Amino acid sequence: MSLQYHLKLSPGDVAPYVLLPGDPGRVPLVASLWDESREVASNREYVTFTGTYRGVPISCTSTGIGCPSTAIAMEELARVGATTFVRIGTCGTFQDRVRPGDIAIFDSAARYDGTSALYAPVEFPAVADHDVVEAAIAAGRELGFPFHVGTTRTSDAFYARHPRPGSSFDGYWQSTWRDHFEDLKRMNVIAAEMEASVILVLARIWGLRAGGIAVVLDNVLEVSGETGRFDPQEQFEHGGDEIERLARMGSEVVRILAEQDAAA
Amino acid sequence: MSLQYHVRLAPGDVAPAVLLPGDPGRVEVVASMWDEARHVSSNREYVTFTGTYRGVPISCTSTGIGSPSTAIALEELARVGATTFVRIGTCGSLQERVRVGAVAILDSAIRADGTSSLYAPVEFPAVAHHQVVDAALEAARELGVPHHLGTTFSTDLFYVPEAGSAFGGYEQSAWRERYADVAGTNALAAEMEAGVLMVLSRIWGLRGGAIALVADVAEAKSESGAFDPEATFDVSEEPIERLARIGCETVRILAERDRMRRA
Repeated sequence: MSLQYHLKLSPGDVAPYVLLPGDPGRVPLVASLWDESREVASNREYVTFTGTYRGVPISCTSTGIGCPSTAIAMEELARVGATTFVRIGTCGTFQDRVRPGDIAIFDSAARYDGTSALYAPVEFPAVADHDVVEAAIAAGRELGFPFHVGTTRTSDAFYARHPRPGSSFDGYWQSTWRDHFEDLKRMNVIAAEMEASVILVLARIWGLRAGGIAVVLDNVLEVSGETGRFDPQEQFEHGGDEIERLARMGSEVVRILAEQDAAA
Repeated sequence: MSLQYHVRLAPGDVAPAVLLPGDPGRVEVVASMWDEARHVSSNREYVTFTGTYRGVPISCTSTGIGSPSTAIALEELARVGATTFVRIGTCGSLQERVRVGAVAILDSAIRADGTSSLYAPVEFPAVAHHQVVDAALEAARELGVPHHLGTTFSTDLFYVPEAGSAFGGYEQSAWRERYADVAGTNALAAEMEAGVLMVLSRIWGLRGGAIALVADVAEAKSESGAFDPEATFDVSEEPIERLARIGCETVRILAERDRMRRA
């Protein structure tokens, strides 16, 4: 097992701790917060930087959007020595108490994706590692960021399942979508995104550690309003500021974990 | 909302933190460890004691076996003011490293039960509250009890239709490799109540968690090759007391940390 087919990484190329954003364009931004970093690979949607953050070895690999490409990244990263995975991404919410700009710390995920069910039946819980959750809470407190701990809904569709026609192209809509987000709100789910469940399931079945944090960009029940029109380019809050906060918090989560691991 | 139909409890009868064994006969054993305790109700499989443990208000209610009766206990306990649920039960081990007599701290559950999916679709995770997990870890460490942290297989079946377990040798092919597959997902225990406890706590925004004493190795067979829990389970007094003690300490640690957070 040497060079990995998609990620173009070999053993030694990554640290045990890997941050996982979706967007390959965000990897250099994350790495710019570190003491030092180098680009180790770039292929398809997978870009990897490795370096040190406050003295701790760290890597960042983009997963692309969605669970299929994320599972490939996890499989290949684990083969070259990654043992702790921290997703850093963006999400929507449907809870009134969770506001755009806040951070959601995921301790678990509702598995509305296809990939994770090919690994373990859907009854199996997508649950974060306890150490990672506690480190994320400590990082959020230390940095003074408003955060919420809870369950995310991971799904394979971005433009589907909004309560009114207007999210999918040309008004395409299904009646089963009407109550999807309201039902999740009532289940106390705090976020919606597209990668956490497969990361949590794969880490758990392999006996590795994973968790996730995400910055909240919108309230999916408010954003399309009465008209149902959904245009993320116009409607999402997307300052560089939020992404930098997310990257800082992810890097701190790794530092806290590494320090605890060294003490254990 | 006053007197509850099944558990026969009214507001004021229980503490915010409730320990949940399955067996009504064990409630008194648990309460015997407290500073003081009173028996507040008994009806069907539901027995409740309330008291204080090392100065902390605490209750213990039995759920009976399985998710249906457990969901009823949780619904009615929440209505009378319970906000933290800690299951204390027994489990079978699915992993060689998890030995009989050890304690499994359950941070999540595989939802192989019928009840929880009537509340939330099966995609929804059965996950413990991280504060309960952390307090249970602290309690086990403090008491020096060997423990493991991980996922449990919460199922509605005790006697499963595989070789030698269900009556009359009844078998179903779907079960032939079920335990091996579950073990392959790194789950460490099998029991019958944690999944619904975690799902209901989560959807209500309350805190739930579960601690289980490993009483046997799942699929353990007696010498005849049959599954005979009476012969193979270790549910003797001493390990059950250890379980009860960890449960009480978990509640105490949670109460202390809650007080520090509020201060």
